[in-house]
Amino acid sequence: MQTNLADFIRDTPEGREADGILRKCVHCGFCTATCPTYQLLGDELDGPRGRIYLIKEMLEGVAVSGRTRLHLDRCLTCRSCETTCPSGVQYARLVDIGRAVVDRLRPRPAADRLRRALLKESLPRPALFGAALALGQAFRPILPGALAAQVPRTSGRGTWPQPRHARRMIVPAGCVQPALAPDINAAAARVLDRLGISLIEVPRAGCCGALRFHLGDQEGGRRDARTMIDAWWPYLSQGVEAIVMTASGCGAFVREYDHLLERDSRYAEKAKRIASLVRDVSEVVAAGEARLAECAQRSKPAPLRLAFHSPCSLQHGQKLRGVVEPLLVATGCELTPVADAHLCCGSAGTYSILQPEIAGRLREAKLAALGAGAPEAIATANIGCLAHLQAGTATRVRHWIEVIDERLD
Amino acid sequence: MIERFRETIRAAASQKRALRIRGGGTKDFYGGPLRGEILDTRDHAGVVSYEPTELVVTARCGTRLDELERMLAERGQRLAFEPPHFGETATLGGCVAAGLSGPRRMAAGALRDFVLGAKIIDGRGDSLSFGGQVMKNVAGYDVARLMAGSLGTLGVIVEVSLKVLPMPASEATLRFEMTQEDAIGTMNRWAGRPLPISATCWHAGQLMVRLSGAAAGVAAAQRDLGGETVEEGARFWCELREQRHRFFEGPAPLWRLALPPATAPVPLAGEPLIEWGGGERWLRSEAPAEVLREAARAAGGHACLFRAPFETAEPFQPLAQALARIHRSLKAAFDPNGVFNRGRMYPEW
Amino acid sequence: MSPMETAGVEPADFLAERDFGGRDREALLSELSRVLPRGALLVSPEDARPYECDGLTAYRQLPLAVALPDSEDQVRAILRICASLDVPVVARGAGTSLSGGAMPHKDGVVLSLARLRSILALDPLARTARVQPGVRNLAISEAAAAHGLYYAPDPSSQIACTIGGNVAENSGGVHCLKYGLTVHNVLRVRAITIEGEALEIGSEAPDAPGYDLAALINGSEGMLAVITEITVRLTPKPLTAKVVLAAFDDVVHAGDAVAAVIAAGIIPAGMEMMDQPATRAVEPFVHAGYPLDAKALLLAESDGTPEEVEEEIGRIREVMAANGATGIRVSRDEAERLRFWSGRKAAFPAVGRISPDYYCMDGTIPRKRLAEMLTAIATLEGKYGLRCCNVFHAGDGNLHPLILYDANAAGELERAEEFGGEILELSVEYGGTITGEHGVGIEKIGQMCSQFSRQELAMFHRVKAAFDPRGLLNPGKAIPTLNRCVEFGRLHVHKGGVPHPELPRF
Repeated sequence: MQTNLADFIRDTPEGREADGILRKCVHCGFCTATCPTYQLLGDELDGPRGRIYLIKEMLEGVAVSGRTRLHLDRCLTCRSCETTCPSGVQYARLVDIGRAVVDRLRPRPAADRLRRALLKESLPRPALFGAALALGQAFRPILPGALAAQVPRTSGRGTWPQPRHARRMIVPAGCVQPALAPDINAAAARVLDRLGISLIEVPRAGCCGALRFHLGDQEGGRRDARTMIDAWWPYLSQGVEAIVMTASGCGAFVREYDHLLERDSRYAEKAKRIASLVRDVSEVVAAGEARLAECAQRSKPAPLRLAFHSPCSLQHGQKLRGVVEPLLVATGCELTPVADAHLCCGSAGTYSILQPEIAGRLREAKLAALGAGAPEAIATANIGCLAHLQAGTATRVRHWIEVIDERLD
Repeated sequence: MIERFRETIRAAASQKRALRIRGGGTKDFYGGPLRGEILDTRDHAGVVSYEPTELVVTARCGTRLDELERMLAERGQRLAFEPPHFGETATLGGCVAAGLSGPRRMAAGALRDFVLGAKIIDGRGDSLSFGGQVMKNVAGYDVARLMAGSLGTLGVIVEVSLKVLPMPASEATLRFEMTQEDAIGTMNRWAGRPLPISATCWHAGQLMVRLSGAAAGVAAAQRDLGGETVEEGARFWCELREQRHRFFEGPAPLWRLALPPATAPVPLAGEPLIEWGGGERWLRSEAPAEVLREAARAAGGHACLFRAPFETAEPFQPLAQALARIHRSLKAAFDPNGVFNRGRMYPEW
Repeated sequence: MSPMETAGVEPADFLAERDFGGRDREALLSELSRVLPRGALLVSPEDARPYECDGLTAYRQLPLAVALPDSEDQVRAILRICASLDVPVVARGAGTSLSGGAMPHKDGVVLSLARLRSILALDPLARTARVQPGVRNLAISEAAAAHGLYYAPDPSSQIACTIGGNVAENSGGVHCLKYGLTVHNVLRVRAITIEGEALEIGSEAPDAPGYDLAALINGSEGMLAVITEITVRLTPKPLTAKVVLAAFDDVVHAGDAVAAVIAAGIIPAGMEMMDQPATRAVEPFVHAGYPLDAKALLLAESDGTPEEVEEEIGRIREVMAANGATGIRVSRDEAERLRFWSGRKAAFPAVGRISPDYYCMDGTIPRKRLAEMLTAIATLEGKYGLRCCNVFHAGDGNLHPLILYDANAAGELERAEEFGGEILELSVEYGGTITGEHGVGIEKIGQMCSQFSRQELAMFHRVKAAFDPRGLLNPGKAIPTLNRCVEFGRLHVHKGGVPHPELPRF
């Protein structure tokens, strides 16, 4: 597409990056077909192509109002469009730039700012979030239905195997996940232990930065990332082969630390190294699939009808498609067919809190698609999707690694 | 020749006289009354171009249909819509103007589906060319296709380009005993499966099914469907197409009902014969036109008085108001002085 | 007959486009907002700008407003309001047109049909689907899949393009040699005239009384009426399908192989060609395993029963080999078959990876002139200093040369347009047409003057007037006015006469 960026941005690093991305877009519109919000709202402005156009206009110096920000806010950043785009447009990077610029040109109203500040200060802090959640869980029996649905159930944490293998990997403790589903990391450790890998949890390292970054505090997100790098760095010298992510949302973000910190002279190199070591837990398990199948055969698990929801951060963000499903099948699960598997469930980080109406409609559609084959349980790969989906259904929603862990006993 | 047509048309237009475009006259029975001085197209004959690898034949309106089909057959090709001739003098121009298709219609498509281009002379005497000789063409409105079935009311079709297709390597006809209701259900269910069915006909408790295609595919379908193999299949379908089948004998008015194919049997007085998987239902019936028309309309189709010993009703189902207005405007656009085939389609024009 | 005499009976808008300036904007907006739900009327330039173009970004126009109705009643109300205030209306589906068919009118309303996106009925026994115009082409096939049926026409943009837009453009696809274009697969269209009257065109029966108006509405580019409902024919899914992927070291050999396949009496379900630059552009995206050293690739598909396919694939292989194919592969399974096709389907946008902009042509020529055309295009590349990737629906002679340019480089767009214009005029000269399936839109309106005579163009205007007497639907598209042809400097002249001497030159 033809571009002519305005002086205020043309020669900045962001401007150059945006220009390169915009020029790749040929405006074919394929992306609209797989965009959850376009399919829901039927307005060009709520699809990737329209948002790209809004960003282009803004970067070319056309005055913007809150309307442009509204349409950028409505984007889930699910990156389904990137999977569909034949031209290779890096939409998510462009929308990050667009969001930063619109926040600068048209600051948010005070109430909106406050709400976002509260979210970004509470969610990334395990202690604070855990306390708030515990309060909610304690009162669940007496909360009205709608509100009760928002507070997820919790389960205890199982045992963590002693590190006994020569092969070692680390797993960050995470921020939201330990409070909501404390057994996920432990389950991953138990599964990997059977595959000959010892998983070591890096304690209390906090949030990877995704939450702050996507709430408009891009600098705060970078700060989080540096903290994370500092926490993980010492392990690398101890022969750790990979950084395993059990939440695909975090994985998608950490995988791009190199890009996030490329202009930070102190951290750029380290970020590159860290990013190159990140693996989703599914990749690690898939590498030991033969062993996994052996273990499963020995334990002879009961048949289980399961619907798998691949989080956008897994299938679009990390481009890991069709990796988890065969692992579930290898452990004797029967996967039910799920229509429109490429569409977002509406969770999308803090989206479900900030855009509850659209998120609710997307969840409804997603749960209908997941429920079509009458599964006994739903499996997914990201804590955000897990909690969001669970709040809308009586069918149990779990991390797939927990399902596999159970089936190997 | 073209110049002579144009002069005749201009003269008629200036005097607001009616012209009746006629080739072999084999379809004189079809449509409304014949009015006006004959404009004979038979001398404007001959194939303009035919290249089998292009799958296109272009010929003049007076070209005899049987000669054209013979030439195509020599190269292993055919007009896939299997047009009825209704007499050996049938011409290509009349074939396109009448727009009628034969037994293969549901499998291969209708005549209108094969029209790629047409040269016409409009009611002003202007020579116009629409479409062309290529498979895909969306430049301008598809006026060439509009000519199919226009009964010569919009202009003289002087030259036509049609898509042609290879002849099937193998054909077989099967016969089944079946009630009308079962036949309609069966034909539609089979049409929803990837079977090489190229024609169907139900009459008097018998369902005839023709298979066409690669030998292996026809044999496989024959095994799949069962039924009794009919030896003289080709003759049956030809007689059906030409309405020489015994059903078409006798004086009772012949009605043609075009209905959504899966429509259940319509309880109407008279003897039915069903083609096109249930989409085309012939009826020999003395029932009043209004009754038949209302029954067809209610089922989502229309009824046409195809042949009658004397004029008992308008030939075609009346149009809804909005459509009738557009028809009148189109007629005026092509033939402002009402020269061509007056009253042949609808009495008002 | 002198041109002056003809002029006397020519339709009113034939000479020049109408000027729609000076309409009562306030009245229009207040009336439209009365009939539309909240948020369904976009008025500010900020909101309307992303609607200023469709898939052809070289042509842009900011509209007066954008309306997003979600029911036929709203569509009817919008049309009535626009008719009463004499305001132009441009209908739009997914905005994937490559000819600027949905480019707005500066004094007009864009009528988006994207919110009319329900599949109203799907009847497996009758093999029909009744759908709203905003339903995506592929969504119909997805819905029909459970019944072993699908909707056959598959334009490359089928993932995104809407069925309403398909009807308006009479879209084709890679399988239309065997299964036909949109016009062959649409049974019935319900459309609203600019006056707000509903038209039932065609029928769920095999035919309808009167003229074949379906022939006109298919490919009418939004100029006759606004489509609000469509019944399509569904086709049984073939039991099996396989694709032959043949490589050639010369595009001419590949062209000959295409003709040879047809000469052998084979009608492949699809037959497509890509040249080397196109192959190299798509391979990094689709990983189809295309041989990158081949000068041209042919994809030929056979479908039917396993026995038929085995037999036909064998014959196709023989013909390809006899015509100089340097490598032949047959898809081993469904996944590989889809992968072979995916590269072809993503070819246009994938070119965005190697060039910031491209200009896609759509001429159709008789198959026998294929090699000649390719040679001519190679010469034109030199003449204009621009590269061109070639993607063809080889089976039906429909060419999609993609002229690569950079809109940010001064003069490149103009050169690309001239390059494209020459290809289109060559198409007409070779006995073909300027557009096989993308439509004329705004893009090829000048070349219409080369393909059609003044009388033919006048007839097109009359046909439009029969539906839309005041010329309010998509004005300025598809059918050029006489003034435009004079401006463009071309008019197809029969018998060597001087074109319209009565008109002033400018």
